[in-house]
Parts: sequence; structure tokens; C-alpha cells
Amino acid sequence: MSASARLSQITNQLTPSSLSARDKLTEKHPDDVVITCALRTALTKGGRGGFKDTPAQDLLAGVLRGLIERSGIDPSVVEDIHVGTVLAPGGGATEFRAASLVAGFPVETAVYSLNRQCSSGLQACINIANAIKAGMIDVGVGAGVESMSTQYGPQAVTEFSELLDSHEQAKNCKVSMGLLSEQMAKDRKVPRAAQDAFAASSFQKAEAAQAAGLFDDEIYPLEVNFEDPKSGEITRITVAKDDGIRPGMTAESLGKIRPAFAKDGSIHAGNASQISDGAAAVLMMRRSTAEKLGQPIIGKYVAAAIAGVEPLLMGIGPWAAIPKVFGKTGITKDDVDIFEINEAFASQCLWCLGELGLDPKKVNPKGGAIAFGHPLGCTGARQVSTLLNELRRTGGRIGVTSMCIGTGMGAAAVWVAE
Amino acid sequence: MLHYRTEGYNGYAVKYSPFYDSRIACVASANFGLVGNGRLYILSLTAAGIVAEKWFDTQDSLYDVAFSELHENQLAVASGDGSIKLFDTTLTELPVASWQEHTREVFSVNWNLVDKSTFCSASWDGSVKIWSPQSQRSLQTLPTTSCTYSALFSPHTPHLLSAVSSDSTLRLFDLRAPPPQPATLVPISPTAPAEVLTHDWNKYRPDVLATAGVDKVIRTWDLRNPARPVLELVGHEYAVRRLAWSPHWGDVLASASYDMTVRVWSDGTGSSLAAPGVGAAAVGNGRMLGVMDRHTEFCAGVDWCLFGGEGWAASTGWDESVWVWDVGGIMGSR
Repeated sequence: MSASARLSQITNQLTPSSLSARDKLTEKHPDDVVITCALRTALTKGGRGGFKDTPAQDLLAGVLRGLIERSGIDPSVVEDIHVGTVLAPGGGATEFRAASLVAGFPVETAVYSLNRQCSSGLQACINIANAIKAGMIDVGVGAGVESMSTQYGPQAVTEFSELLDSHEQAKNCKVSMGLLSEQMAKDRKVPRAAQDAFAASSFQKAEAAQAAGLFDDEIYPLEVNFEDPKSGEITRITVAKDDGIRPGMTAESLGKIRPAFAKDGSIHAGNASQISDGAAAVLMMRRSTAEKLGQPIIGKYVAAAIAGVEPLLMGIGPWAAIPKVFGKTGITKDDVDIFEINEAFASQCLWCLGELGLDPKKVNPKGGAIAFGHPLGCTGARQVSTLLNELRRTGGRIGVTSMCIGTGMGAAAVWVAE
Repeated sequence: MLHYRTEGYNGYAVKYSPFYDSRIACVASANFGLVGNGRLYILSLTAAGIVAEKWFDTQDSLYDVAFSELHENQLAVASGDGSIKLFDTTLTELPVASWQEHTREVFSVNWNLVDKSTFCSASWDGSVKIWSPQSQRSLQTLPTTSCTYSALFSPHTPHLLSAVSSDSTLRLFDLRAPPPQPATLVPISPTAPAEVLTHDWNKYRPDVLATAGVDKVIRTWDLRNPARPVLELVGHEYAVRRLAWSPHWGDVLASASYDMTVRVWSDGTGSSLAAPGVGAAAVGNGRMLGVMDRHTEFCAGVDWCLFGGEGWAASTGWDESVWVWDVGGIMGSR
């Protein structure tokens, strides 16, 4: 009963837990936001691929139907569906609500469409997670969809006013992605050879993953109409595989492609993300709810961060957002098993990896948007299924998804596979 | 808010009298309870603020206090020297009884609210003992095998006793069933064991209790399914030292923490929070209702007033302060 014994007893009560940040992240709590199902459609080539004649609303209806089917969830317990999309006029609000009804959700399930450019699908998942954390809903779906075949074009952006055009930084927001990325590659000295090597590796990884059937678990096949470009004949086809993955790509073969944005440029169709169609959806709920409903938990959402950068340097977004989300979670890059970082352009992705000092083996292990496409609003939600499947397959636990965002932003989120 | 300064003594526990709406007891210890004397304050709430009716000094630090449920002027205190003493407020200086059986610091005393004739104590010596003021020896000793910070009788069942301890375990004893082995062991945080410093039984739902401690998380439990907590309330920045469910609202509990705050929470079962959908009003919708941040050192004690206007509470801490405050004032509207 000495004073020193008492002091040490009380000191022990104040000592913060000796758990590492990684161990803390993987702890399970009943109020965790968990994922019980994450899937996507195949991603197909814009204008030519399997979904070229399928509107975004049909892709969404298909992926939502798949989510109900594969998860076995009673659709009436889903309170809200957030859908990220970039190109749909009116934000897709009307047709997405209708698509949820087609998919089998009752009228009581609400729908919300949102646009944060290339991170829309991730933002939809973050919104759902936050709504669950705040107690607004118990079960929700974060989704993303894009039909670049049917909706890509100049009409997707409103003409800038004189006021916006008169402001230098504001005006930069409308510079095209290709032009500004070309400039950034030049300024930040990312040589073409490195970009082509990175792109080739994306193709090779995706080709191997597809051959090994690693995408089969996350892809929900859809039966859609397809118009034969030659005969004009419309047939029903089942799309179950990504069709943008070109086999046999090497840095040498990519090195022969002509630059797309400048004669002396380095960016071309082979080392930038493909224009694609696709949809993805993530079923999220509180852990206690999942246990009550008997839903199998495949992962949990931990935290997310959003960061702004120079509009002309939009490609550096992940470099700004990833450290920010590390700050929120206390982990470092060494704690992360897999990074899914969107390959908008090989140049910007490569630059971010270098600056952040990430191990290339941990980044996009099954390839990325260069190989299988970047349906803008879909990508953020697509990364969740790709990430969680690969973490489970490889026995990893912690994953990060991130992407750069047009007009100069970056988003990143931390996930744990269970 | 009303304030009383326990000058030279750092507060460890505060309790409202079950007999007088104006009486509060506070135990405090010199030198933060590490070494030196203890003092039991009998405080009176008057029109002129909080007035000390009298105090009793003890040789060693005091860590907890419990009003007798049978005798309106008697209270038991838990002492650092392993003793338990019974004081009578109509007398001065000396206790009317003293029991010396625990071999280390006694950290909690709790009166049986149903049976009223017994009380229990929990000690760092790894045991819980049951006492009667009529008996010179303890009636029963329950082994907990690890440093035990808090033991309570269920407010619903006279034969049910609970204890939480440094081995991150909640033990439930059925006192009718010899030998004295715990009927149930509930691991509080199996993946990351942390000392459990406090717990309290819900006053309305006999199967519900809350635990908290070094890992800063307040957990509520439904003993019909103790496999996992019903709810985890996160917000305290340091260890939680004391929990107290409201006697007025079945969903509300207060927590005092080393982070110098007393917080008030709802476990989401109140009718005001009911919402349609899955798990509404049952699981997962707990939230913090407010923070009482007037203490300037570790908070160690909090208790609810049983009488009068709903939602008055008293708290004490190492800042030599007793605060009496209207919980509604920090909760906003309810």
C-alpha cells in the first residue's frame, strides 16, 4: 500500500494502449461501418465495348439487382442509395431513382445522385458511411456508374461565364485533362519511357489477373443489347469480362504510339486511362446491424480524406489526399497492404507513387484504369470491390483507395478487409 | 452550477443521499490519494450554496462512499489501508464501525438497494466482500483473482452481484449458489484487454449494464447475450473512472473521466430517438448528449440526484472541487 504502488497503478490507467495504429484499425467494434457485399459490372470499352448501347441507368439497375442477389439482403432494410456519376444530365437523379425500383428496391428506399468528378463513386461510399456513423441510416448502398459511350462529350460541362473566365485560377479549372497532364508530365519530369513501362505493367497485371479469374468474384454479369457495328443487327449478349485489357502489351509496343495532345508530348492512348462504361455498388451497414441481419462482413470502412490542389496539377491529388487520411488514422504507408490508386494517366500516378515513396508491388496489383478503363463516376466504388477481393485473396488487411479529381482535388479512403 | 472546494483534498467519489434531497457525501484524499489522509464530507445544499455540515478525517486515503439504505445517517467508506468504515453523521470524529479484512486498497463500496441490509466492497487485493453493519466479520468473500475496481449489487435482484477488474473482465455472482464462483464471466474487450475501472446497472432494464475503463470506451451490455456489447460509446480522451445511469431516464448515463470532463450519453433506446428502419431504437444509435467541462483536473466521481427536478448531478475530481449541476443545462433540450 505504498505511495509508489498506488502511483504506478494510476499511471497504468493513464498509459495509452500499446496497440499499434494498424492493430487499432483492425479492431472490431459494433458501431463500425462494414461492407457486406461489393461488386461491379464488367468495364467495357467506350463506343466499342459490350456496354456501348447500354445506358447508365440500365447499368445501375443491373449492378443494384446483382447486389441484392449476391448479398441476399432484404431490399426493404436499405434506407438510402448514393450514386456517383459525372456525365449524366441533371446528375442522373431521376433515372437513378427509377433504376433502383427496377432493381427491386421498394419505394421506401431513397436515392441520391452526386458528382465529385472522378471520385464520385468513392464519395458515394463515404457519404453512406458518414450517414451510418451519424445515425441517419443503418443500411445503405454506395454506388457509381458511368456510360461514357452514351454521355461523354462537351455537353457534360457548362460554358464558363465571363466572371469565371476573368479569374486566372478559376479559368484553369476548364483546361482539358490531357493538356494539363501533358504539361505536368513535362514540368515534373516524368519521361515517356517510364510512363510506358508503368502502363505496360498495368496491362500485364490485368491480363494475368483476368486469365487467373481474379475478377470473376467481383463482376456481376449483365445481359444487354448490343448493336453489331457492321450489320446494325441488335443481339442480346452477356457481358461478364472487362474487354479493355489488351493482351501482350509491352513498354516497347506502347512506345510506338503517337502522342495524343502534343507532337513532342508523352501521353497517348496507351498510357492514359481508357474511356469506359461500367457500374459498381457497395453494400454498407453498421456492424451490429450486419450481425443482426446475418450478413457476411467482408471489410470495413475506416476513414476518408479530401484535398484540394492547383487545378493545373490535378494529377497530384492522391499525393495530397493519402497523407491526409494517414493523419486521420495514424497509420503509415508501411501499414498498408494494397493501394488502389486510379491510373488517370500513367504520368500522374507514377509521380504520386514516387513522391509518396510507395512500393510499386503494393499499388494496383491487378492493374488499373490504363488496362481496364475509368468509367468516371464508377471508379471509386469499383476500387472497393477490387481492393477487398485482393486483400482477402492475399491475406492482407489494410487497403487504401485514392484518385485524382479534375479541377484539382484528390480523395483517399482507408479500408480493412475482414 | 453550485461549487464546493474540498481544499487540500482531491475528490474521489460523490453520492446523493437516498433519504435527504439536500445531502451529498464526498470522499477526498490528500496528495491525490497517493499518500496521506482521507476525508469524508457531508455536504448540504442550501439557499446559500453548498455548505459542509461536517467532515470526518481518516488516516489513509478514501476512494468511495455509499449511503446506508436502512439508516438515514450512516454511510460506509472505502479506504486505502484496506479498511471499510461506517460513519454516523449525528456523531463526530470516529466511525461507528470499522472492518479490516482486505489486504490492499478498497476502491469501491456499494449498498444493496433491494435487500438493504448488506453492502459490498471491491479491493485491489483481488476480492469482493459482502458485509452487514450488524456483523463484525464479512459475510462472504468472492475471489476475483485480479485487482477489482468496482463491485455492485444489482438494483433489481438482491442476490446478483457484479464486479469489474483489471483483467478486462466483468464477473457476475449469484449469491444463492455456493461455492462463490462467478456465474458468468464476460470478457469486455477480448481483442485488446484493458483494465475496467467502473460499471453501473441500468435502473430500468434489469439485464442492462455499462462498463468503462482504461480503453476510454463505454460499453453497454445486455446480459441475455453477453457475447458482445450492445453499444460502444466513444469520446473520452482518457480512461473513464465512473459511470452512473440516470435514475430518471432509462437511456441516459453519465461518465467521469481522467480527461477532466463528465459526459452525458444516450444509449439510443429512448423513445425520443426512435426512428423507423433496421435496429432503430435498439442498437447502435448511442450518442453523446453533452459535456460538463468545469473540472480542471481528473474527474473521478459523478452521481445523479434521486429527488425533485429530473437531471441534477454532482461530480468531483482531483481539482478539489464538487460541482452540482443541472444536466439539462449541458444537454440542451430533451
